Amino acid sequence: MVAVKTLAYLLVHPNQLRAIIQWKVWHDPVHSRNPEKESPTLRSCFKFLDMTSRSFSSVIQELTPELLVPVALFYLVLRGLDTIEDDMTIALDEKEPLLRNFDQILDKDGWTFDRNGPNEKDRELLVHFDDIITEFKLIKPAYQAIIKDITTKMGNGMADYANNAEHNVNGVNTIKDYELYCHYVAGLVGDGLTRLFVESQLANPALLKRPELSESMGQFLQKTNIIRDIREDYDDKRRFWPKEIWSKHVTKFDDLFDPNHRTEALTCSSEMVLNSLKHAEECLFYLAGLKEQSVFNFAAIPQVMAIATLELVFQNPDIFTKNVKITKGDACQLMMECSQNLRTVCDIFKRYAQRIHKKNSPKDPNFLAISLECAKIEQFIESIYPSQDPKVLSLIAASQGGPVVDEKTKAEQAAANKDVMYLAFAVIATLGLISVLMIGAAWLAGARFDIAFAELRKGIFAPKTGEEAAAVVAQHDHGEL
Amino acid sequence: MAPTPAQSKKPLGKALVIGGCGFLGHHIVNLIHSSYDAQISVIDLRTTNNRRPDSDGVQYFDGDITSLSSLIPLFEKIRPDVVFHTASPNLMGSSKEMYKKVNVDGTKCVIEACQKTGVKALVYTSSASIISDNATDLINADERWPVIRGKMQTEYYSETKAEAESLAIAANRAEAAPKLLTAAIRPAAIFGSGDVQLIPRVLDVYYQNKSGFQLGDNTNLFDFTHVDNVAHGHILAAVALLQTSTLTTPPLDHEKVDGEAFFITNDAPVYFWDFSRALWKAAGNTKGTEHVWVISKDMGLMIGGAMEWINWVLGKTPKLTIKQVKYSCMTRYYSIGKAKMRLGYSPIVSLEEGIRSAVQWYETERMKEGEKKSQ
Repeated sequence: MVAVKTLAYLLVHPNQLRAIIQWKVWHDPVHSRNPEKESPTLRSCFKFLDMTSRSFSSVIQELTPELLVPVALFYLVLRGLDTIEDDMTIALDEKEPLLRNFDQILDKDGWTFDRNGPNEKDRELLVHFDDIITEFKLIKPAYQAIIKDITTKMGNGMADYANNAEHNVNGVNTIKDYELYCHYVAGLVGDGLTRLFVESQLANPALLKRPELSESMGQFLQKTNIIRDIREDYDDKRRFWPKEIWSKHVTKFDDLFDPNHRTEALTCSSEMVLNSLKHAEECLFYLAGLKEQSVFNFAAIPQVMAIATLELVFQNPDIFTKNVKITKGDACQLMMECSQNLRTVCDIFKRYAQRIHKKNSPKDPNFLAISLECAKIEQFIESIYPSQDPKVLSLIAASQGGPVVDEKTKAEQAAANKDVMYLAFAVIATLGLISVLMIGAAWLAGARFDIAFAELRKGIFAPKTGEEAAAVVAQHDHGEL
Repeated sequence: MAPTPAQSKKPLGKALVIGGCGFLGHHIVNLIHSSYDAQISVIDLRTTNNRRPDSDGVQYFDGDITSLSSLIPLFEKIRPDVVFHTASPNLMGSSKEMYKKVNVDGTKCVIEACQKTGVKALVYTSSASIISDNATDLINADERWPVIRGKMQTEYYSETKAEAESLAIAANRAEAAPKLLTAAIRPAAIFGSGDVQLIPRVLDVYYQNKSGFQLGDNTNLFDFTHVDNVAHGHILAAVALLQTSTLTTPPLDHEKVDGEAFFITNDAPVYFWDFSRALWKAAGNTKGTEHVWVISKDMGLMIGGAMEWINWVLGKTPKLTIKQVKYSCMTRYYSIGKAKMRLGYSPIVSLEEGIRSAVQWYETERMKEGEKKSQ
């Protein structure tokens, strides 16, 4: 059923179909893994990667061999942690120590976990977690240390939230809490990845001195997903939109999903979009620090998807009723465009910022703030890739006559001017000839232009008819008598 | 802005604001008064408007800057350390002769008066329009962009501002008075309370119910600057010049303020029509953009051209001119990195707050007008 629907959609959207085909046919990964040379445990790891993540799996598998396994394992370890945190069938007193000490599990050969509920979608990963531990021990110690450090921090953060009864009932309170939550689940990932990139000498070490940049990379993705998933999370009884924001627009959280409050729900979502949009500049700044192509693609693709998603959810009432997602065709198009360089990524960001600006309405309480944020993204991109060159402008100004015009264009202009003159002459001559003919015909037929002129001179513009006209003629012809 | 406590106020010595009863000038006076330790004097053609109460100790002098003989005695009496030269006719509605006389000849007189009376610092109010030819886009322009002069400069006002700026900059450490340090501030589209041009024009469009038109596609970014930020930029430049004048060796090139020009904006470019819409919204407009009739630039130029012809024949002023169409379709925003680096400038009033307070001011003014009329 779904396939038929997709097919029908693609048939009436040939551009989308084209993008998908192009991506499938022409996309040439910078690197690709070679499963034949891999150990059975590593193959198992990649199987779980495919299973647990559709969006990240392919970009991870195109990473440079140096980072391929470390990043894949990093992902799987965090996914394992997440699977424990997510599972509401595990009692808190069992869950908490698991979360807080998950880094130590990475040292325990043969550790597996089968107490996840049967409905937990990624429970298989933990049932076979020994494969991940085996491979983890084979990567460079420096990479192990980074992954463990982030695991500890994230595990503790998750345990704090699991313990926080208020959070579990009422969701996130302040914007600060919201950003702290995003820090634990995404900002830390950004931090860990940056350290892996720098450790492998594939990124500028200066990125470590600007931790707010990697933080923004994570925040931008997480916040955008939280906006997009509002309905799904609500159905799962989870609330991530901070009360500090939604309470400005609606009185109860449930009102966001009430069709009678759609306008308020939309202005609320605008404020959420604005809050996320603020990270866009720092994301572009961060991407400028990545040197290796596969690392760049790995980091850029999710960001580009995020800005496109942000544009999709902006002023979109559907987010409160169903799952919204960028189309497969758009996703392929974006992946193709952005896996080149920072310039193409900037072009995409600019394009979507302009689209958000276009949808922005003065009715929105955050109208100006959103407009300024879009403009700021444009200005930032202009500061990296200027479209005007002051040196050239100075030369033009110095030459005084405006833009330098060469002889050929001058001659062409002169010729064009002559053509226009001839054309105008022809038109006027034709009009003149027709006028002469018509007036002449009227005169031959007995029209009294002399009277008409005399009348006009007296200031009488409306022609007279019937007897009145005859009187005028008689008066005119015998006036001197 | 909360007044700065007396002990932390920075010293500015004897400060003279020329044009201190004008739109920008009186905001400079206010800001010095609230945040700096200074003895303030004002010279203006008429000193009845925008005056601070006598208890504030600001001295007001009537004087004509186009007459050196009128200026010198005043300068000798005031003996200023710092001079802010803000006097200029409005952008619209003055004659060519007037622009030339006040902007160029007046500035010459001010410079000479500074040189003859031992002034340490002169800050000249230039204009961001001097790098615009009023047709070509300015995209994130900074101080490296060429000043547009002569045939290419279609706005005579800007031509005279450019001429005056070059005179003021040339007076820096000039032979006639090597101790006089000068700088120029180039503000972009000033608005705020006391504004007689931008705010009234934009808001009147809303009051006359004409907010349903948009010229161009509204993708062009524009800088609008709140007057308090412009005042702040001026004073920062003056403080920096005074600081430089105490040094025995000239500052490094990348730190230099004397002999330099600085763009000052709100550091918040905005889509052209969004600024007007934000103003209308602050004035109570609840409409979105559904009713707006978008006139493309080409269509606008055609209508503007036709209007100009018809009105020329009828001897009236057209409601829409080619100049206006070009202006509202132009990209015109600046990068103020230089002012941030060298002056330590950042806006003290955000665009949002600036719009709110400007609209509030204009509505109070309108109410006062209304009361006067009904009396």
